[in-house]
Amino acid sequence: MSTTTKFGDARPGIGAMSVRASAPLHEARISIRNLDFYYGANKALKGINLDFPAGQVTAMIGPSGCGKSTLLRVLNRMYDLYPGQRATGEVMMDGENIIAPGMDLNQLRSRIGMVFQKPTPFPMSIYDNIAFGVKLHETLNRAQMDERVEWSLTRAALWGEVKDRLTTSAMGLSGGQQQRLCIARTIAVRPEVILLDEPTSALDPISTLKIEELIDELKHDFTIAIVTHNMQQAARCADQVAFFYLGEMVEVAQAAQMFTAPKEKRTQEYITGRFG
Amino acid sequence: MTDHIVKSYENELKRLRALMTEMGGMVENQVEQAIQGVVQRDTAAAARAIDADPAVDAMEHEAEQFVIRMLALRQPMAQDLRQIVSSLKMTTDLERIGDYAANVAKRSVVLSQFSLSFPLSGLAQMARLVQENLKMVVDAIGDGDTDKALLVWRSDAPIDDLYNTIFRELITYMMEDPRNITPCTHLLFIAKNLERIGDHATNIAETIYYAVAGEPLTGARPKADSSSFTVVRPAGI
Repeated sequence: MSTTTKFGDARPGIGAMSVRASAPLHEARISIRNLDFYYGANKALKGINLDFPAGQVTAMIGPSGCGKSTLLRVLNRMYDLYPGQRATGEVMMDGENIIAPGMDLNQLRSRIGMVFQKPTPFPMSIYDNIAFGVKLHETLNRAQMDERVEWSLTRAALWGEVKDRLTTSAMGLSGGQQQRLCIARTIAVRPEVILLDEPTSALDPISTLKIEELIDELKHDFTIAIVTHNMQQAARCADQVAFFYLGEMVEVAQAAQMFTAPKEKRTQEYITGRFG
Repeated sequence: MTDHIVKSYENELKRLRALMTEMGGMVENQVEQAIQGVVQRDTAAAARAIDADPAVDAMEHEAEQFVIRMLALRQPMAQDLRQIVSSLKMTTDLERIGDYAANVAKRSVVLSQFSLSFPLSGLAQMARLVQENLKMVVDAIGDGDTDKALLVWRSDAPIDDLYNTIFRELITYMMEDPRNITPCTHLLFIAKNLERIGDHATNIAETIYYAVAGEPLTGARPKADSSSFTVVRPAGI
């Protein structure tokens, strides 16, 4: 667990931006054991066991209401904002159960970043969109912040397109650019895990491919979990795919296995479009 | 397996399966005519086998175009993907079988001009086994029947055994009387073509098994063709 992956270039200050305590490649970064989740009396997740390997993309697929987005919400404890929602079981990360009471949620959410279905830029400049989150967790001087902003935007494959208009409003960017900005904003705080909740469902096919290429780039440094309704997207992006149905995880397999020869009948029926 | 939500996709998959069985039937018939040409010395049947070839080629082309279209437009997954890709492989095997049948038929026409001083019982038996395997594998295409596919896969070895016997027999006839050389050379090719038809039927059996079961047939294919070493076997092989 002591491996430290460095990225960015060799300039001073950038080297300090390393992923905190990355797990060795392909070891489980997050391990879910016997996870149940309740919306009030309604049990939305039933006995989930799933590992998210470090440096890999895990896609969660399944029909609406199957629990896949709920699982993402559990991973950064977004459900805490809503009374009546609770999770039981274990979600282990670095030897800690992140759903246990007493977990520092601000700290947790800086380690597990999330990108939503619709791009959600803040109504401020492109630069401030990135700097805003960083300021909550770190105290950087102007030069360090400039570097962090450039680094994040570069990693999110957006730097070239916005470097000459960093002070203009983020609301003026296209949908695809806004989504990449949101990804830049997420990685700016140097998380270990990135959760993507249907990140391209509001984007055109070219912007979608750019995000998918970005996911492919980012997985070397982050552990990625993506919820998608687009089966082809899961096939293109994911190393591991988990199929959910009615709150249960029916099957998990490597993407190639899942999409050529899944084991479970329900998985077969879902991915071939024979459901119900 | 339940039907697709999208009916037109379901219909295309059914049509693809129907194309495969139809092509299988055409090739099966072509092989039968070709064998009749050799064994019964029936030149009319041989002519029918030769004439059938362009239709089989056209069918291969049609199936190929249909598969490419489905891959592009439907982006199939899981067993649909396996069925579609397998169909593409099977058309190639079926088309090759058709070519071999046409070649057998052409040689049978030449052969009919010779009076043979020996019986063709071995070849007839081999032809019967090849036809049986081909029929069974074509049935397996239609039914997606892995049991039949396995049966075909396991019964290629006796065909190879017979081929080895015929190979030696024909060499003996040629040694005995040089006038046998021309017909026996054609018969060697005919036997070889039949043996290849058996191999392609086995390929198809493997493809069907993968398409239906989702896993490849593992283990070495039962093979018994040792004709390459007939008369002189190099040391150490």
